[in-house]
Amino acid sequence: MEVKVLFFGVLAEISGTGFKHYYDAKSIGDLMHRIHDDFPEIVHYNFRVSVNSEITDDDRLLKSGDEVALMPPFAGG
Amino acid sequence: MEVNYLTDGPVSQETISQLIEKMHSRTDSGGNMIFLGQVRADKINGKKVKAIEYSAYIELVGAEAEKIKKSVFAEFNDVKSVDIIHSTGIVAAGQISLLVLVSAGHRQDAFQACSKTVELIKQNLPVWKKEIYEDESHTWK
Repeated sequence: MEVKVLFFGVLAEISGTGFKHYYDAKSIGDLMHRIHDDFPEIVHYNFRVSVNSEITDDDRLLKSGDEVALMPPFAGG
Repeated sequence: MEVNYLTDGPVSQETISQLIEKMHSRTDSGGNMIFLGQVRADKINGKKVKAIEYSAYIELVGAEAEKIKKSVFAEFNDVKSVDIIHSTGIVAAGQISLLVLVSAGHRQDAFQACSKTVELIKQNLPVWKKEIYEDESHTWK
């Protein structure tokens, strides 16, 4: 079971590539533990998490093919 | 028809001219407001901003821009059209990074709806910016 994680803004810089594939993460909570293990520095930043373009919380269950995005506060204009 | 809300690099004079040209085809609007967001050469801790690099969640921008427009149309009955173009990539100080054009039947709704559109873009459009200084260091905003 594979999900793609997109990192935006400063988080893209921290992740290096702007995206990473994760396998067999059951929920957003589970996935976030792994992301924090890979990129401990992100603990210092505020961000929202979306799954397939919908803002979500840690309880959300994941399915194969989901696209998860980590989005710091928007700063357009 | 899918509308493209993003442009690579600064919003060009040609893009602005094209939108004004399109505006001429409307005959139901009497007030048109254009907002042009420009990159400021701010000085921060003694370092001067030379450019901003914008990045976006491209797949989400269209849906969020449509929601912004829908919200503006719902609030201001007199608004006839709303155009939004935001930059991605590098925009140098002095160049334009955001264009909003609101056409309304009368000026009051044009003024207010344009202001509201810009505020909603700031809050809801999934865009991020990196300020690049003259010494090539940078800060995420």
